[in-house]
Amino acid sequence: MTAIERPDRGGAQPSLPADLAAGITLVARGDAAAFDAVYDQVAASVFGIVRRVIRDPAQSEEVTQDVLLEVWRNAAKFDPGRGSATAWVTTLAHRRAVDRVRSVQKESERERRTAAADIPYDEVAEAVESSLERERVRRCLGALTGLQRESVTLAYYGGYTYGQVASLLGVPAGTIKTRMRDALIRLRDCMGVAAE
Amino acid sequence: MSWRKREVHTLSGPYAMDAISAPDRARFERHLAGCEECAREIASLREATARLATATAVPPPPALKQRVMLAAAATRQQPPAAERDPAARTWRWRHGLRIRLAMAVAAVAMAGVAVVFGVSNGSMRDQLSQAQASSQQIAGVLTAGDATMVTGPVTGGGTATIVMSHSRHALVFTAADLRALPASRGYELWLVGPAGDRPVTMLPPARHDMAGPVIASGLRQGDHLALTAEPAGGTPRPTTPMMLDVIL
Repeated sequence: MTAIERPDRGGAQPSLPADLAAGITLVARGDAAAFDAVYDQVAASVFGIVRRVIRDPAQSEEVTQDVLLEVWRNAAKFDPGRGSATAWVTTLAHRRAVDRVRSVQKESERERRTAAADIPYDEVAEAVESSLERERVRRCLGALTGLQRESVTLAYYGGYTYGQVASLLGVPAGTIKTRMRDALIRLRDCMGVAAE
Repeated sequence: MSWRKREVHTLSGPYAMDAISAPDRARFERHLAGCEECAREIASLREATARLATATAVPPPPALKQRVMLAAAATRQQPPAAERDPAARTWRWRHGLRIRLAMAVAAVAMAGVAVVFGVSNGSMRDQLSQAQASSQQIAGVLTAGDATMVTGPVTGGGTATIVMSHSRHALVFTAADLRALPASRGYELWLVGPAGDRPVTMLPPARHDMAGPVIASGLRQGDHLALTAEPAGGTPRPTTPMMLDVIL
């Protein structure tokens, strides 16, 4: 269950300690001190992915605040039997970011398309994640086929739907769907994470 | 638009990355609710996307923390699952056939409105045109292509029916056989969500044991619909336990 929280990685993940799940369980009971600690544990990951998808700093802060409030409000919905606490929080964050981006997508379509197409993977110089962890993700992304990697980066970091990814890459939507699934399975295996 | 089974399964990759349109997402989630194997696959894929997310970690501006803590202090939490009304878990969103039933129910209720306001004088006419405007909004939700319907029990007695359209950011609420309240009190409907708790409206007194239909517009992502018993004039925030809490 929560052992997934920290597969053996040589202490490479200081910002996401193994007791995040326990913290969220306390938050569900209205424990404000626990929420303070959970905030410290997840805020950087939430802000990081939200900013990567949304790009605009002011909007990213706004959405980050919404996500963290949602963690507070809906902590009772976190079910440790259904995956790690990190996955629960980052899923909330990513979904919110994508929803925000899609609501304003039309006006800034071109700008975002350019931005998402060349993901400078190591641009986040100020990241709190250890470079070891980022290095691992980069290496695992590098092990994908070109189409898998582009599908994942456009979808996850660019916020595009699989249909949009298909037309950006000029590949049938059915192909993109299966490449996305294959890519995530390979990433999961490469990064040594598993649910349940 | 129905999906063949295989088609649904191939959506797990896009779904795990939120690379899916809102209607497809809703449909996939309905499928997930009844497919344990799919739910496990999604959970495992999300461990991979979690890593893609944490690899982008950047500390937010320090001032954000205080804003979040203040907002949390003013935000009501969802109760733990064990304390929720167990009956609430029987709530299931549906489309299609049963929507027609809801429309029939609503049509009857609207006919009631026309009868009640049949007598014509100045203020009655105003009320009637208000009622018609509301009827048009209601019809808009009921006939929306993405309308989904849910029926379930209300804590304390009665049955609520909700027809919701995300494309119209609105839902229609009706309830049957709600417990009668003293004249000084009434049922108040709420949208509860990350955007805050917003009063929707007081339910009009029941006729033939049916209350509503009323419309709630301005639905936001992550909202719940809640029902409480309040002083007849309504309150700006819920003051009594929720008798209904439906995730929209």
